[in-house]
Amino acid sequence: MILDLHTHSIKSDDGRAKVQNYCQWIKTRDIPIDGFVLTEHRQFDNQSDYNELAREFGITILKGSEVETEYGHVLVFGVTEALQQAFDFSDIHLPLAKVVEDCEKHGAVAVPCHPGRPRVGMHAHLETFGVPDGVRIVEVYNGGSRDSEDEIAQAMAEELGYLGIGGSDAHIVSHVGRCATRFPTDIHNESELVEALRAGDFEAITNRQ
Amino acid sequence: MTETLNIDSIRTNFLNQDYDERHFELTPEQIVDYAEACGETALRYTDPEHPDFQAPPTFASSFQPGKRLPDGFPKLPGLGMDAGKAVSPKAPMRPGVPLVGRTHLHDVYAKTGRSGRMTFMVTRMEVYDPDQLLLATADTRIVIRERPTKVAP
Amino acid sequence: MAVSSIRDVEFGAELPVFEPDTGLANVKRFVVAAGWNGPRFTDHEAARKEGLPGALVPGILSQGYLAAMIHRWAPEALIQNVDTVFRAPLIVDEPCSISGVVTDIDEEAGRVEIDLTITNAKGETRVFGTAEVKLPA
Repeated sequence: MILDLHTHSIKSDDGRAKVQNYCQWIKTRDIPIDGFVLTEHRQFDNQSDYNELAREFGITILKGSEVETEYGHVLVFGVTEALQQAFDFSDIHLPLAKVVEDCEKHGAVAVPCHPGRPRVGMHAHLETFGVPDGVRIVEVYNGGSRDSEDEIAQAMAEELGYLGIGGSDAHIVSHVGRCATRFPTDIHNESELVEALRAGDFEAITNRQ
Repeated sequence: MTETLNIDSIRTNFLNQDYDERHFELTPEQIVDYAEACGETALRYTDPEHPDFQAPPTFASSFQPGKRLPDGFPKLPGLGMDAGKAVSPKAPMRPGVPLVGRTHLHDVYAKTGRSGRMTFMVTRMEVYDPDQLLLATADTRIVIRERPTKVAP
Repeated sequence: MAVSSIRDVEFGAELPVFEPDTGLANVKRFVVAAGWNGPRFTDHEAARKEGLPGALVPGILSQGYLAAMIHRWAPEALIQNVDTVFRAPLIVDEPCSISGVVTDIDEEAGRVEIDLTITNAKGETRVFGTAEVKLPA
């Protein structure tokens, strides 16, 4: 199963895509993914229920978040009510150690995203803050990467022994699925996604030309 | 301590109140240069003899207010970044028509965390003709990341 | 072929790719017309002294390119809104190309939404946005 693990909808400040249009786009254009995870900036979208859309289009739609830490942006998969109580998703200066620890405690997974990007990526902060504890996975393919950002991410992952995921970081409809992650088994919900990520059996892929 | 913007106070004192007014008048040459530089091929933007000759629909985005923010606006507590522009044309802007652009703070809100904030501001210029017909709105989005007050580990 | 009616448009339709003129002479012509004339847009050396990679194509010109692209595709299109996010600067004299695709259609309202992406020669997204456009019935 292939999931785009990093997308934004109109629920994010800079997102311009409606979730329904993502689904239409994937089906109409035969985008080679089976689903996507909505990782809205600095929040978890408790309100939206995409089950009907998912059924209508035969696409897996999951929810996560993208939070901000001193090491840059971090995707959080497996968000629960308890995790939302544990730290403030809207805080733009979250300590990465706390995010990782709370995720571990509450059955979630934290994944630094676009780590090769200046300022908002983890690699840029290693010299200042050192190698963080507890990180096991980073995003090595990001659909919005430019210059050598993905290469920096991949080199860092190799050097520090991290596993890699892929996500499009789509903010508009036509960017969904540019990068994604292949899993050997089907994933139906956020818990299964966490389980699969913790199992470590997945592969980052890119569909960019 | 870093000074933070008081969003409620800003909303009360500044939101939706015009703080700048500027006058513009377009010439046919200006419109043609603008349109052709953008790559417009539709004659209503590139041919002054066309019966529907008008400025390209994004022209209002180029109008700049005299003041970036209202008088008395608190000092921004961090770096302001241009997060994007949106323009909504409502009716044609023609050459030789005196235009007035009135700017107001259209929206301001903060995403607050325990140790820092991002403030989002949208300034909007509304462009009117002499009959007070709204011709276009042009939004500029600014994000201010308030500087962290603590030293990271 | 130019689009003249919303009936000609399908979800997912691609607009013809547009490669706008980012040359210095064209950018100068634009900034003079727009009242944005300044060395950061018209002088590579001056821009580099400001710490920029070169003279910048102003964001409002990027927006103008997007509108022009829509009119090249559908000359009678009435643009209702163009919303752009500037992810990275476009540099004067560096080629770029714009792709656009239809991502929503409301036939009753005669309105379509279009995703627009400006990429540089390396295929990196520099500017993206959406447009709402009215098309004749």
